[in-house]
Amino acid sequence: MSVNILDEAVEVWFGPQHVSAHGWATKLTIVGDFIVECDPNAGYFHRSAEKCLEFRDFRQGALIMERLCMLEAFLAEYPYVKAVEKIAALEVPERAKVMRTIMMEASRIHSLQFWWGQFAAELGLFAMLLWPWVDREYFLDSFEELTGSRHAVSYNTPGGVKYDFTEKSVKMLLRALDRIEERIPTFRDMILKSPTFKLRTRNVGTFTAEQGLKWGLSGPNIKACGIPMDLRKDDPDPDLAYNMCDWEVPITHSEKHPGGSDAYDRMVQRFKEIETSISIIRQLLPQVPEGPIVDPKARTKTNRLPAGEAYGRVEGTRGITTLWLKTTDKAQTPYRAKIRGPCFSSYYSLKHLVPGSTFADFIVIFGSLDPYPGWWDR
Amino acid sequence: MIGGGILLQIDFIAWLRGIPDWLYEVIRWVYGILYALFTWVWGLFVWIWAVVMDSFWFLFKAILFPGLIFVVLGIIFAVWFTRKTWGRVQARRGPYHMGKYGGLQLFADAIKLVAKETIIPDNAKRWMYRVLPSLLLIAVLIPFAFIPWDNNWFIADLSVSLVLTFAFLTVVPVVSVLAGWTSGSKYTLIGGFRAANNQFAAEIPLIISSVGPAMLAGSLSVMGISQAQANFWYIFLLPVNFVTFMVSATVIVGLVPFDAPVADSEILFGWRTEFTGIYFTMTYFAEFAKQMLFCALMVAMFFGGSYGLPFIPPVLNFIIKFLVMLFFFVIVTSSFFRLRQDQVAHFCWRWLLPLSLLNVVGAMLAIVYIPGLAELLQLGGG
Repeated sequence: MSVNILDEAVEVWFGPQHVSAHGWATKLTIVGDFIVECDPNAGYFHRSAEKCLEFRDFRQGALIMERLCMLEAFLAEYPYVKAVEKIAALEVPERAKVMRTIMMEASRIHSLQFWWGQFAAELGLFAMLLWPWVDREYFLDSFEELTGSRHAVSYNTPGGVKYDFTEKSVKMLLRALDRIEERIPTFRDMILKSPTFKLRTRNVGTFTAEQGLKWGLSGPNIKACGIPMDLRKDDPDPDLAYNMCDWEVPITHSEKHPGGSDAYDRMVQRFKEIETSISIIRQLLPQVPEGPIVDPKARTKTNRLPAGEAYGRVEGTRGITTLWLKTTDKAQTPYRAKIRGPCFSSYYSLKHLVPGSTFADFIVIFGSLDPYPGWWDR
Repeated sequence: MIGGGILLQIDFIAWLRGIPDWLYEVIRWVYGILYALFTWVWGLFVWIWAVVMDSFWFLFKAILFPGLIFVVLGIIFAVWFTRKTWGRVQARRGPYHMGKYGGLQLFADAIKLVAKETIIPDNAKRWMYRVLPSLLLIAVLIPFAFIPWDNNWFIADLSVSLVLTFAFLTVVPVVSVLAGWTSGSKYTLIGGFRAANNQFAAEIPLIISSVGPAMLAGSLSVMGISQAQANFWYIFLLPVNFVTFMVSATVIVGLVPFDAPVADSEILFGWRTEFTGIYFTMTYFAEFAKQMLFCALMVAMFFGGSYGLPFIPPVLNFIIKFLVMLFFFVIVTSSFFRLRQDQVAHFCWRWLLPLSLLNVVGAMLAIVYIPGLAELLQLGGG
C-alpha cells in the first residue's frame, strides 16, 4: 500500500487579509509544515493603470506612474517621461539631467530603507521596523522641501524637472545623507552578524544566476548572484548623469552558494546598493551645472504628439522598469502604454522558489525578493 | 329583613367587622416570612463575618495584596512598562495620551476591548471557544499563590509548590492547542501546534534548570528555596542554570526570539487569531501573567527572593528585583530575529539541556571541593 502525502495536503490562502500581505494573495498547499505548492495570484491590487494612462495627457501620465510604486516615485515616473521625450524629441537641459539623477538615487535609498525595516519586521524583529524609517524621514523631509509632497512627488516632467533645487532642499538632502552614512554601518553589522538572522536567511530561497535570468529577475536580486547587470552601466541613458561620476556596479559573491544567492546574500546586496547610491549623490551634488531646468518648448510640444512608438526604461530599486508608449498622430493621449514592472517576475518566481520550504520561511523568501504589489498589478 | 327581601347567606356586617382581624393575620403572615428571611440572611452574614474574621489575613492576602488585585494591577503595569520600553527601543514614545505618561492607556484599552463585539466564527466549537480563555487565565494566575513576596506575605506554602507551578503551566499549551483547534481556522491550528512545539522543546530544560536551586536548598517549595538564600544567592553558584532557566522561560512564554506560536508576520496571531473582545483580552493578560510569573520565580530561585538591601522592606526588595527581571525580558524580546520552530527545538535540546545538567554537576563539585561554601549555603541541616 503506498501512501500519497498529498492526500493530507491543506490549502492555505496567504492574503489578501493577512497582515504581511498588504493587498496580495498567494495560495499555498501545505503538508505538515512544508509547502508543496505555491500559486501566486496577481490581480488583488489591480488599479488599471495602463488604461488610466490612455485617458491622461502627456504631462499628467507621470502622476499615474508614480502611484504604481510610491516608494520609488522618482524612478517609477521616469520611463513614461523618457518615452514622451523620445516621441516629442525634447532636449533635456544639463542641469535637469543631474538633478534627476540625484533625486532618483535618493529615491532608491529611501525605498531600500523602507524595505529592510519591513524585512526585519517580517523576520520577527519588530523593534527594527522603525529604525531605518527614522532615517527615511529625513529623505522625505527633503522631498517635501523640494516638491511639496512627501510621497507623490511628481518631479520628472517631459523635458526636464518641475522644481529647482533650493539651498535649503540641498542642505536637507545632505543632512539625510550624513545621517544615513553614520548609521548604516552599525545597522549592517547588527543585521548581518546576528546569529538569528543567519539562521533564518542562510540557505533560504536559494537560486542560481541562470535560474534567475530564466525567470526574468533583474536588479538587486540578480546582482546578488554575482552578475553585474545594471542598466545604469549597461545602457547609459543620455538624459541621466551616471557617466559624470565614478562608481562600480555593486555585486555580491555568495560565500555559501557560488554563482547563486540566498536571502542573506540579497540583504548584503541591498546594503551595497544603498552605499553606491550615497556615493553617486555625493559625487553629483557639487557638479550640478547652472541653467534652465526644463526644455522651454516642452509645454507646447507635449500638447499634441506626433505618431510614434517609444520605449523608456530605467534601473529601478527592484529591477528593470520599462514602459512602451504608442501614439497616433496629433494625439492628446497615448494610444497604448504597456508597463513592465520588475516585480511581476520576482513574484511569480515564488512558484519555483517556495515549494519544499517550511511555512515559516515563505514570508522570508517573499520579503527577500522585495516585490511590491503595485508593480505586478498594473 | 333589610334590602328588599333578599336573603344574604352570610352576615355582611359581621363580615365587615372581621376585616381588621383578617388584615392583621395577613400582615402577620407576611411579616413572619420577612422576619424568617431576615434572620436567615442575618445569620448568614454573621456566620460569614465570623469566618472572614477568623481567616481575615488569609483572605486579605488572597484578594488584595499578594493576591488577585495586586497581580491584575501588576499585569496592567507590566503591559504599560513593556509598551513604554518597546517604544523607547523602537525610537518612538509609546503610549502618552491617556493619563500621565500614558499610565491610563491600559484601562482605556481594556474598556475598548471589553466593549467590542465578540465574534465567534461559524466553524468554532462555541462552548469550548467561550470557556478556554478563562481557563487559561485561571491556570496562569493560580501559581501566583506560591510566590514568596516576603517571609510573611505569601498566600500558600506547599512543600511541592515548585512542581505544582510547573504542573499548572503545563495546562497552557493544552489550552493553546485546543483553542487553535476549536477556533476552526487553519492559521489558529498551525499556531496551536507551534505552541505545543515550544512547550515540548523547553519544558525539560526548564525543569532541569530548577533542579539546581531545589537541590541546594533541599526543598521543592519556592518559599523554602527563597529562604535558603539568606546568606548566598544561587545566581553566583548557578549562573548557567539561571541563563538556561531564563531562555527556557522565554521559549515557554513565546517571546520574540521564540515567538513562533504567535508569529504575526507568518501566521497572523497564531492560536489567538480568532479571539476578539474580552476573550482576546484574557489571552493577552494570560501571556503577561505568565511572563510575570517567570520573573517572580527567577527572583525567588536565583536572586535570593526578598533578601537584599537590609534597609528597605523585604517586599520592596523582591519587587525591585522583579522589575529588573521584567526589564531584562523586554530588552531580550527586542533584540533577536524570530527562530523557526524546528530551530527552537534544536536549540533547546542541543544547547540548553546539556548546559543546565552540566551546571548542576559543577555546583555539586564546587560544594565538595571549595571549603567554607557548604556552611555558607546552610547545607546538611546547618
